[in-house]
Amino acid sequence: MFELKKVEKTFPNVRALKAIDFHIERGEIVGLVGENGAGKSTLMKVIYGAYQHDGGEVLINGKPVRFENPRQAMDKGVGMVFQEQSLIGNLTVMENIFLGFERQFVKFGIVDWKKMAAAARHQLAKVKLSIDPKMVTSKLSFAQRQLVELAKVLTLEERVHGDLVILLDEPTSVLAKEEVQLLFKLVRELRSRASFIFVSHRLDEVLELSDRVYVMKDGEVVDHVKTSVATAESIQHKMVGRDINKEYYREEKQLSYDPAKVLVELDAISLPGKYQDISLTLHAGEVLTLVGTEGSGREAIIRTIFGMQKPQSGSVTVKGRKITTYSADAAVANGIGYIPRERKIEGIVAGMSVYENLTLSQMGRYSRFGFLRIGDEKALAREWIKKLSVKASSEYADCGNLSGGNQQKVVLAKWRSGGSDIILLDHPTRGLDIGAKEDVYEMVRAMSADGVGVILIADTLEEAIGLSHTIAVIKDGEIQKRFDGKPGHKPSLFDLIHYMI
Amino acid sequence: MSFPDRDVLHRWAPLLVLVALVCFFSLVNPNFMSLRNFARIGISATPPLMVAVGVTFIIIMGSIDLSMEGAVAVCAVVFAAIFIWLGGTLASWAWLALPACIVVGALYGLLNGLVHVKLRIPSFMASLSMGFVGIGLSLLMTGGDRIRVEDKIFRSLLTERYLGFPLMVHVALLVILIAWFIQSRTAIGRNFYAVGGGEELAHASGLDVKRVRVLGFMLAGVFYALGALFAVAQIGIAETATGYNFMFVSITSVVVGGTALWGGNGGVWNTLVGVLIVNVINNGMIVMGLPRYLQDGVLGLLVILAVVLSTDRKSLAFVK
Amino acid sequence: MTLEKLKKHFPWITLLTLVVFVGALDSNFLRPENLLQLAGDISTLFVMALGITFVIYLGGIDLSAQSVANMTTVLATLMLPIFGASTAVICVLIGALFGFVSGFVSTKLKVPSFIATLAVGGIALSVGQFASGQRALYMDAVLRDQSFSWLTGNIGGIPREMIIALVLLVGALILERRTTIGRAFKAIGAGELAAVASGLRVGRYKMAAFAISGAFAATAGLLFAVKLSGGSPEMANGFLLPAIVAVLVGGTPLTGGVGGVLNTLIGALIVAVIRTSMLYLEIPATAQQIFFGVVLIAAIAFTIDRGKVRTVK
Repeated sequence: MFELKKVEKTFPNVRALKAIDFHIERGEIVGLVGENGAGKSTLMKVIYGAYQHDGGEVLINGKPVRFENPRQAMDKGVGMVFQEQSLIGNLTVMENIFLGFERQFVKFGIVDWKKMAAAARHQLAKVKLSIDPKMVTSKLSFAQRQLVELAKVLTLEERVHGDLVILLDEPTSVLAKEEVQLLFKLVRELRSRASFIFVSHRLDEVLELSDRVYVMKDGEVVDHVKTSVATAESIQHKMVGRDINKEYYREEKQLSYDPAKVLVELDAISLPGKYQDISLTLHAGEVLTLVGTEGSGREAIIRTIFGMQKPQSGSVTVKGRKITTYSADAAVANGIGYIPRERKIEGIVAGMSVYENLTLSQMGRYSRFGFLRIGDEKALAREWIKKLSVKASSEYADCGNLSGGNQQKVVLAKWRSGGSDIILLDHPTRGLDIGAKEDVYEMVRAMSADGVGVILIADTLEEAIGLSHTIAVIKDGEIQKRFDGKPGHKPSLFDLIHYMI
Repeated sequence: MSFPDRDVLHRWAPLLVLVALVCFFSLVNPNFMSLRNFARIGISATPPLMVAVGVTFIIIMGSIDLSMEGAVAVCAVVFAAIFIWLGGTLASWAWLALPACIVVGALYGLLNGLVHVKLRIPSFMASLSMGFVGIGLSLLMTGGDRIRVEDKIFRSLLTERYLGFPLMVHVALLVILIAWFIQSRTAIGRNFYAVGGGEELAHASGLDVKRVRVLGFMLAGVFYALGALFAVAQIGIAETATGYNFMFVSITSVVVGGTALWGGNGGVWNTLVGVLIVNVINNGMIVMGLPRYLQDGVLGLLVILAVVLSTDRKSLAFVK
Repeated sequence: MTLEKLKKHFPWITLLTLVVFVGALDSNFLRPENLLQLAGDISTLFVMALGITFVIYLGGIDLSAQSVANMTTVLATLMLPIFGASTAVICVLIGALFGFVSGFVSTKLKVPSFIATLAVGGIALSVGQFASGQRALYMDAVLRDQSFSWLTGNIGGIPREMIIALVLLVGALILERRTTIGRAFKAIGAGELAAVASGLRVGRYKMAAFAISGAFAATAGLLFAVKLSGGSPEMANGFLLPAIVAVLVGGTPLTGGVGGVLNTLIGALIVAVIRTSMLYLEIPATAQQIFFGVVLIAAIAFTIDRGKVRTVK
């Protein structure tokens, strides 16, 4: 009923979608999986009208259509359930639900709030959510917001004649296990009214919910299988193009660390709402991995070590000295480097060249009386471009135009070249392709060999197990369990997950 | 007693600042607390209030409008010219000048919005340029002269008093109620908040953001026109300088009232409080007998203090 | 060359187009002495705009520049008999102090810079009015020539004022391109969060930008006072908006991170050409403002690189 035929989308320099064939039938739930950068989000944007395809055809019941904007897609019954952050926080639930479609409640330009509230309650009933539609959305929980999003898209039912196609973009990422089950139950019930495209990086959930799965890689659909016959391993295999388990667990490459030299010591630090009573020790050459779900407090812990957050109680000791002022510049002065998850926002400065980014944290070392020694900066940049084989045209290349993996290398080089010996890595491989990930692993091992202490928040559990000497499992801001991850004694995935959730 | 919720505290902070200021000036000089003086504050606050309410809608959208000086000048001059041409008194067909003025304000705002949205020029620059155009237009029309509007009926906005306050204050309160109605009860009013709260999301939800923006600027233009009418009623003269100083006063008032420049919050009542804070400070300094030359500086200090006390800046990491 | 690459050249293409266009209508406009005078007339405004560039580059705005310049004309006139040539240094320091206060209020007290600088401008205005006794003051001609002869007259037909402006431009350019402060400004303007996460003391740099802006505004005021041989708290009125316009038209958008002081030179020249062209095109005085506004819209519409301005608000 809804179909894509040989759909293409090209951006300057990138062919983001290559001859995509895709179809979905009435009442079907179709999964869409792929690694970051595989083209999932571009495909979704084409489907709900945020992007326009520039090749191939989009067909509804066999008739070609073209959506110039999301509104036109909605008029044809295609709606998008965004991740929970996409409700406008300063508006009420009902205003969000009917945003852009208030006209039905407006008489002579005046909104009939009672009528809108009643209509909103009707929509909320569809998703079994009983909240006051006059509530401001910023006061809702994540799960509630996700359901409001769904309710908002379900208003299409009343507006559009014909079939509905609803995209669910990572709807479970912030939900607890029970909430996920409730959502799935709801989606199954709603398939009498709509077809669903379910996009998620959680393969088990995709397999549980969907009838069929499309697997994307490098802008192409590489496989398309019925879930009744598919296994998680086979899909994973297709997603990454090769067997994943070999990459991790390179135990033979892992060196042991020096337990005598303590770099960072956290003594019972607490920050209400983020983490409680965290005590950890990082040694020279050690890779310490914090494992936990999204929002378990891992990020706040490393931001505390970097001085961007201040614990309410407890103390942080870096190289034997107790921290008194919590600020990023003090942390940098102590030899701490931070590689944030939001690489493009916090990691590199887009618009600045490689050499400018490299010395940003150590300008004092590359200047005299406040004047930069640009020649030295460039030499440094050339050296590190070579050392880490950064794919950049030269040291003048704009970091914003580098690929994710190369940006990550620049950020790493920034800290390493400055002599930082405590490196905090937050999802360093997020959004990177396999090759680039392997490079990052190699760099982590190299740092460890150099006696650098690394605290890692890994993207996947396999990554965590493979790279770390020590693993701390964190749940709801507290350390649940510590594992020794030395070669030969690695915990299993199951061990970790058991304590995570 | 539990400590009040921070949200609640922030909502009422501007009003508390206003009350504190009134108390302070009353203590310094008891004459401050008199109906006559309050009426004086009311008169001086009315034209900037109209302008500030207009720009409030723009600021809620996260945009800025700096064209008000030009808009007020054009509206005032067009009004006066038509008014004089049609007979010079409200008792004749000259009353048509009133709606004409409003229409001119709306058109001016429409043009402003179109320049901003269609040419995709940031509102700061688009409206600044349109402000120059407006000032120029009024200069062209008047040739730099003043137009006197001496009609007794029109001036009764200033001279007629009910309950101690001139008619214009009552009319202004009525306009505020209408503005509040627009803000809270109409679709377009709520759409301003949607655009300010999350433009991209609003667009993705199917809201025609461009249309909302243009309408916002048009609506602001209508309020500027009202501001122009009150300004002319106040001094009986329409000229290019009628618009003078409205820009900084109105935007300062909006911010002091607690509406954030990055959009999405605040509203008409905040602006009313903000305008009153600024005018109470101005009036209070005069009543205290502060030398004229010190008033700009003291106003500056107090405005900083008022913003610090009355706005929620903690939730924002970066203030531009 | 692709459009993408062409975009960053838009500002000077706009300038050149304007010059050629006006020149085609009246070839007198292109005479060197005329062009020189055009550039000379804009010097003071340009100096003020140079300072404001740094603040806008960081995503803020400085509305206090005009009041600081006004105040400086008064203070310079009053101080000349006492301090002689060192008046210049004192004035620049006072300007920097006012800028620093704006920066403090905006970064530490988190008051939007629009309001913070407006308020500090009010304070500067009061100081100017108080110090001058609300009168226009005049400099003693002998004293002026003793201390500030290096600011007046011509060298080889080029007005000294213009030379000073060019020296300041070079200084600002070095500051922007060759110093740690300039590099930090660039990082903060283009990616404030990354700058924070690199351990830069962003707050201090922001305050420094405001202080630099204040110092340049004071320099502009000083140039004024010497040129007109006196001071008054209203002398520089009407300069603020054209100075901001010069920055914006040059291609440093309000969102910051793009552009720089060279752009402001081009922007200031565009403003100068538009203004001067009105004389050549015989635009009546009453219509000049409209003309200025309309050409400005056209110039901005053509100049700004929308690809780099994230949202058009």
